[in-house]
Amino acid sequence: MASADGGAYSYSLTVFSPSGKLVQIEHALAAVSQGTTSLGIKASNGIVIATEKKTSSILIDDSMLDKVAVVCPNIGIVYSGMGPDFRVLIAKARKSAQSYWKIYGEYPPTRVLTQEIATVMQQATQSGGVRPYGVSLLVAGWDVNRGPTLYQVDPSGSFWAWKASAIGKNMVNAKTFLEKRYNDDISLEDAIHTALLTLKEGFEGQMTEKTIEIGVITVPSIAELEEGKIGGETGRPKPTFRKLSEEEVRDYLAL
Amino acid sequence: MNSFAERFSTTSATAQMRIAQAAAADEEEFDGAMWGSDAGFGSLAKGVPSFSVPAVADPTSFLRLHTDDHADPNCRIKIKHGTTTLAFRFQGGVIVAVDSRATAGSYIASGTVKKVIEINPYLLGTMAGGAADCQYWETYLGMHCRLHELRNRERISVSAASKYLSNLVYGYKGMGLSMGTMICGWDKTGPAVFYVDSDGTRLKGDLFSVGSGSTHAYGVLDQGYRWDLTDEEAQELGRRSIYAAGHRDAYSGNTCNLYHVKEDGWKFIGNYDISQMHYDGPGDVPGAPGGGYGYDIRVEGRNSSNPPAVAAAA
Amino acid sequence: MSIMELNGGSVVAMVGKDCVAIASDLRLGNQALSVATNFQKIFPVTDRIYLGLPGLATDVTTLRERFRFRVNMYTIKEEREIEPETFAHLVSSTLYEHRFGPYYIEPVMAGLSKTPSGGVKPFIAATDLIGCLNFAKDFVVAGTASTKLYGVAEGLWEPDLEPEDLFETISQTLLNAVDRDAFSGWGCIVHVITKDKVITRTLKGRMD
Repeated sequence: MASADGGAYSYSLTVFSPSGKLVQIEHALAAVSQGTTSLGIKASNGIVIATEKKTSSILIDDSMLDKVAVVCPNIGIVYSGMGPDFRVLIAKARKSAQSYWKIYGEYPPTRVLTQEIATVMQQATQSGGVRPYGVSLLVAGWDVNRGPTLYQVDPSGSFWAWKASAIGKNMVNAKTFLEKRYNDDISLEDAIHTALLTLKEGFEGQMTEKTIEIGVITVPSIAELEEGKIGGETGRPKPTFRKLSEEEVRDYLAL
Repeated sequence: MNSFAERFSTTSATAQMRIAQAAAADEEEFDGAMWGSDAGFGSLAKGVPSFSVPAVADPTSFLRLHTDDHADPNCRIKIKHGTTTLAFRFQGGVIVAVDSRATAGSYIASGTVKKVIEINPYLLGTMAGGAADCQYWETYLGMHCRLHELRNRERISVSAASKYLSNLVYGYKGMGLSMGTMICGWDKTGPAVFYVDSDGTRLKGDLFSVGSGSTHAYGVLDQGYRWDLTDEEAQELGRRSIYAAGHRDAYSGNTCNLYHVKEDGWKFIGNYDISQMHYDGPGDVPGAPGGGYGYDIRVEGRNSSNPPAVAAAA
Repeated sequence: MSIMELNGGSVVAMVGKDCVAIASDLRLGNQALSVATNFQKIFPVTDRIYLGLPGLATDVTTLRERFRFRVNMYTIKEEREIEPETFAHLVSSTLYEHRFGPYYIEPVMAGLSKTPSGGVKPFIAATDLIGCLNFAKDFVVAGTASTKLYGVAEGLWEPDLEPEDLFETISQTLLNAVDRDAFSGWGCIVHVITKDKVITRTLKGRMD
C-alpha cells in the first residue's frame, strides 16, 4: 500500500495518511530537494542569498533566467524546486507587497511578507483541486523594526528565521558546511565569500557569473535613514535589497 | 390674480411699484447734487418709500423664485434667520427680551446686534428674520407714529401701530420680505403686545416668542409666567428665558438685551452676557437667584457624574 | 442642510518643539439644537498618537471602532506599535475604500514619531472625507469652525513652541474660533503630547 511513490494516499487532494503524514507535502519536499542548491547567510551588516543556476542545454540564453527575485525594495527571495511555482509565488508576493504599500504607504516588514507567502503556500495544502507548491524559499529582507532577517518557507507553509540556511539538492552538506564556517560577527563581504565556498561544495560544472546568482541586503546607516525619512532626492528611500550584477559576481568569484 | 388683471389694477403691490417707478423716472432729470439730497430725504418728501423691483412682467413670482421665502429653502438670496426674541404682558407692564447674535450660515457675524428697535419712547419693536427689513420698516413705522401724533394730538395705540405695519408688509407679500416682530408698548388700554410677521399675520396676545430659539424660550417662559409677576420676577423670567434659548440654540446667544415698558414709556434694564449667566448668573440684579443658570453649575456636587461627597463614599 | 454640519464640532492640531497638540470642542448638536456638552471627538490610538474625528456623530463612533480594530490587528500582526506616518496612510486608505459612499468625517491626527537616531519628531496630518492626506508642518484644522480656525491659527501659531506655550496657543486658537461658529463650542478639550507624557486639560468655554 504505502509504497515509495505514495500509493493509495497519492491523491491530488492533500489527505492525512493513517500515520498522520501528509504525503503530498512530503512529495513536494522531495521535489525541492531535487532542485538546485540555494543558501542564505545573515551577516552583521547585511544578508546574502545565493543560488546555482543550471541550464539543461548550452543553447539556452541564461541571461533570461532569474532565480533571485526582488519583491519590493527591501525584500528579495531565492528558491529551490520548481521554477514555474516560484514564478507564481513571486507574482503573489509582489502583489501583496504593493497592496500593503497601498494601505500603509510603506513596504511590508520581512516577517509580514513571509507570513503572507507562507499563508498562500499553506492554503495549497488544504484546498480542493490544487497541489502544494513545489518550492522552498529563502526570504531576505530589511525593515526598521527587526533589521535584517532571513526566513525559510517550506511547501507545508511552515517558516523559520535563520542565521544561515541552505535548501535544495545539497542542503544537508551545505548546512553542515555553514555550521562550521558561521559566526555572529561575520561581515557581509565575508558572508558572500562563505556563500560562494558553500556552493562550490558539490557544484557540478564551472562556477561563473552565468551560473551563480547573488542577492544582498545592505543595512542602511542611521544618517541614511534620517535622510530617507525626509525623502531624499527621489522622494523614496534607497532600496536595501539588490541583485549583484554579473560583473560584481565575477569579481567575487575571482577573489 | 392673473397677470393681465394685475397689470391694470391700481391697488396691487405691482401697481404701487409701477407708480413709484414712474415717479423715480421723472427724477432722472435732477442733477447729481439733487440726487444726493434725494437719497437722504426722498422718502420723507414723497411720503411713500419707493423701491426698484425686478424689471419683469410679474415681479412677485420672480422674487418668490429667487429670494428667501420660507416655502423654498433652496433659493438664492439668503437672509439671516436665527434669533430668539420674546415679549410678555403682565401686571407691571411689558417685558421685552432678545438675544444679540447674528449668523450667516454657521458663521457668527456679530454678537452685539440690537434686536430691540426703539420706535419711540412708548413703543418697542423686536427683530427676527431679515435685519434690514425689520430695521427699515419699524423705523418707517416710527415716522408714521409721529405723524399720527401730530395729526391727532395723541399717541398712536399699539394696536393701530401694529396694524399699520401689518398692512404695510402685506402690500409686499410674496416679494421676499422676512420679518417676525413684536410691537410692544403702553397705551390707553394699558400694556399691549402684538405679533406681526411678513406673511401678514397680526396677533394680539399676552406672551410671544419669535425666532429659532423661541421653542427653548417658551419652555422657560410658560413654566414661570403669571399675570401677577412682580417687576423683578418678570425681568428675571425674561432674562432666564433668553439664557435658555442662547444656551441650547446654535443660532442664538452672546448677550441678552432686556427692556421693561411701563406707563411712562420703556426703560432699558440691561445687557447680560449669556455665558456669564451660565457660569455666574446675571450679577447683582433684582430678581436674580444668585449663582449660575447652567445645569452643571446649579447641581455642582449633586449630580450623577459629580455626586455629593457622602454619596460618593457610600 | 449639509450632513457635515448636522452634529457640528471642530478639531485643530499644532506642531511644537518636540511636542504636538490636538484639541476639539465638546458640542454635539442636532442642527441648531445643542444636545450634549461632553461629546468626545479625540481618541488615543497609541500612547503617542491621537486621532480627532470631527463630522457626523454616528460616523465618529463607527470610525473610532474601525480604527481601533485595524490598529489592534496591525499591532498583533506586526508585533509593534504603529507609527504616526503609517497610521495616517491607514486612515487615508480606509476612507478611500468608501470613495462613493463616504464617512462624513474629516480626520485630524497628531503624534510623535520615532527617528532612526532614537529621538522624536512631531507629526500632524489631516485628510478630507475621502482620505486625501495633508501633511502640514505648522497646524491642521477640520470641522464646522475650520475656516475660522485657519484665521486664528494663522495669526497665533509660531514655530518651536514649548509644550506650555503650545497649550496656550492651541487653546486660544480653538476658544476664539468656536466663538465665531454656531455649531462648535460648549467647552473644549486639549491634549499636548510630549516625549514622556500626555497632558490633557478641559477648558471652560462660552456656553452659547
